[in-house]
Amino acid sequence: MDFFSFLVIQSLNALSQASILFFIASGLTLIFGIMRIVNFAHGALYMLGAYIGYTVAIYTGSFFLALIIAPILVACFGIVFEKLLLSPLYKRQDGGAYLMVTFGLAVILAEAIKLTWGADPKGVQIPEMLRGIVIVFDFPFPKYRVFLIIIGVLMALSAWLFLEKTRIGLLVRAVSQNPQMVNALGTNVVFIRNLVFAIGCGLAGMGGVLAAPMVTAFLGMGSSVIIDAFVIVIIGGMGSFLGSIIGSLLVAFVLVFGAYYVPDLALAIIYLLMLIILIVRPGGLLGKEE
Amino acid sequence: MVPYYAMTIVIAALIWGLFAMSLDLLVGYTRLYSFGHVASYGLGAYSSALLILHFDIPVPITIFLATGIATLIAVPITWICTRTHGVSFAMLTLAFAQLGYAMLFRFKEFTGGSNGLPGITRPAGPFGLDFFQSKIGYYYMVLAFLIASFLICRNIVNSPFGKVLSGIRENEMKTQALGYNVRNYKWFVAIMSYMFGSLSGALFTPYAGFASPELFFWLISGTVLIMVIVGGSGTLIGPIIGGIFFILLEHELSEITQLWPLAFGSVFIMFVLFFPQGIWGIFTTISKKSKSNPSESGHAHS
Repeated sequence: MDFFSFLVIQSLNALSQASILFFIASGLTLIFGIMRIVNFAHGALYMLGAYIGYTVAIYTGSFFLALIIAPILVACFGIVFEKLLLSPLYKRQDGGAYLMVTFGLAVILAEAIKLTWGADPKGVQIPEMLRGIVIVFDFPFPKYRVFLIIIGVLMALSAWLFLEKTRIGLLVRAVSQNPQMVNALGTNVVFIRNLVFAIGCGLAGMGGVLAAPMVTAFLGMGSSVIIDAFVIVIIGGMGSFLGSIIGSLLVAFVLVFGAYYVPDLALAIIYLLMLIILIVRPGGLLGKEE
Repeated sequence: MVPYYAMTIVIAALIWGLFAMSLDLLVGYTRLYSFGHVASYGLGAYSSALLILHFDIPVPITIFLATGIATLIAVPITWICTRTHGVSFAMLTLAFAQLGYAMLFRFKEFTGGSNGLPGITRPAGPFGLDFFQSKIGYYYMVLAFLIASFLICRNIVNSPFGKVLSGIRENEMKTQALGYNVRNYKWFVAIMSYMFGSLSGALFTPYAGFASPELFFWLISGTVLIMVIVGGSGTLIGPIIGGIFFILLEHELSEITQLWPLAFGSVFIMFVLFFPQGIWGIFTTISKKSKSNPSESGHAHS
């Protein structure tokens, strides 16, 4: 394999990985941007999505149905969680309390999933039409990864259009800048917050369904991915949607190429990158300092 | 006196009590939510493991040395972390802890990678003393370290220095405006917190006989934070009770039910939502009430 095709294949690998990371990180950053909540349970919601996706795919026999139903269920779960456990904390003005409640939820969810689905990993089948390979520059590349890249790009585009071109998107951006003012102008801020929280959770759930055919649904998939998502959000800037795209790409490329050139150092490079950015630009590449 | 069969779990409980207390200096007294406190524990644990494996130094001296080494490493790290506050502080400490975790796998020949370092003994000495090699001896040593650390920390938080910390907790800007160098105060308390955290880690490896990457995994940072909050942050004694209580409870409950982590998480959320003052806080409020009530009723009668 010559260097050029190696570069192309590895870049495609990185892009498909970035796509899954984007689903988790964009939800995390949207929620932080509008509610100032660092959602520690986001990894657990991603895992929940993968397991629900597994069950739906088993019962309906359709992966694509799972890809729609699972995120909706995860989003509903997110709303219930927000109403029951997060909203009592809003008047306390203590960012630490959110960290702790969402961490508690992550612990509970991981256990509940273990009790419901058992400790064994659950394999999810790649749907018929996405099995097999495509040929890129004379080299084989899995179709499913191409699908991941496409759906990632589509989701990034539609989320961007939603935020920039629709009226609700405008309100979302307004709430993230000045919720009191938006409230005073007669918009239901609580509704906007719930909506964004639900969308964020749903995105994480969808990421879980998409990842399941590649890595299987397993216990612990949440606790490793949440750290990657934090890294992405910190690098890109907390609350910045564009930042989460850039961060996902950066982290995925460092992971894929790092695994090839400096296998032991790939992880360390990412954390180092995050540290440097936190020190030089505490708000992240595209964020503003709190 | 603790019965011999229970000694093993009691030592673990005391170590965790110490670990939770060290985090309370940051969380309870300065309101700096560290999500990377596992770094102190892991650094202490690996330092004492490596010292014992390579130099075979008497176990009490090893623990002092390991704590010293880990604290030295913490000096520049905490300097960087305490430049920030709030969520940034939590994320920055998490980042450093994860960097440490990744380094364990980078320097495999040194740290054993994912296998960790098995076969840690408790070397005899000093002066031919072999008391600390026995389980009972080690238990007394851990207990002594815990009591001494508690007394030191209590002195710190009751000193004028500690009052400034409370000032930072209540209103950082105001404290700065009063002319205190807030950053240095935060830096110093973070170093102290890491020092006692690494002491607990250093005590762990000679007790358990191994060091593994799990001692560096970020979930531990969350677990210890839970202990602090449930025990009662800002009281020192509360987190000690929280740590001891949770380890003993986990030991008892995990034998009879699989549901332990589920209960653990639920109890934690309940405490954050409804009893942010924690077990010790509830206890002191009740004891104050029961003290004041008789006198009030006495007034009514007279």
